[in-house]
Amino acid sequence: MEVEREITVPSGPDEVWDSLTEAERLEEWFANEVELDPREGGRGVFRWADGDERAATVRELEPERRIVLDWDDGGYVSIELETVEDGTRVRVVETAPDFASALELHACAWAAVA
Amino acid sequence: MGRGRVDDVFAALGDPARRALVRAIAERGDATATELAAGLPVTRQAVAKQLALLGEAGLLRATRSGRETRYAVTPGPLHDAVAWMVEVGAEWDERLAKLRGTAARRSSRRPRA
Repeated sequence: MEVEREITVPSGPDEVWDSLTEAERLEEWFANEVELDPREGGRGVFRWADGDERAATVRELEPERRIVLDWDDGGYVSIELETVEDGTRVRVVETAPDFASALELHACAWAAVA
Repeated sequence: MGRGRVDDVFAALGDPARRALVRAIAERGDATATELAAGLPVTRQAVAKQLALLGEAGLLRATRSGRETRYAVTPGPLHDAVAWMVEVGAEWDERLAKLRGTAARRSSRRPRA
């Protein structure tokens, strides 16, 4: 099970790459607090304002092309860049975490529904 | 569950506006088209149309309440999968919009080579 999203950003892949790999830049769009060691095998910790926290290991890193993070709670997120006429196409694929973790993560939001 | 049903569900959730509606209803427990339209730059009629489509796909359950129809998210076999897809899909929609915004701001400050 995976979610796939694509967007075109009006700047070059070098600029977008910085936004994907520098902690300070990641804090502008991905999470509220970021620690990331941007190299293969490097660790990342991401914290959000709602108290959620996820840690990951960098599985693949190809500058200005592709970064893949394996989440500690299962699943991965892959972000690929491609130069296009009006900027850089960013393609994200995120796979589901281990089923139990997914249930736990979303139990609060969905408790009212079940 | 037939293949057609699964396709309906994924087609219904293929649209960011509809995902946002499912998420908003899940957060509130239930809601009417009027309540949902109040926080959005769209008409009640537009919201009602999307809610009807989500209802036909089996994702929402409709209950008449006076002159209005209240919608709640249907628990079901696809519940957990749909919950995850809606939540994570909406998160990425928001994040990528922010990423584009920050990149655009940076580019406009910087003279083009």
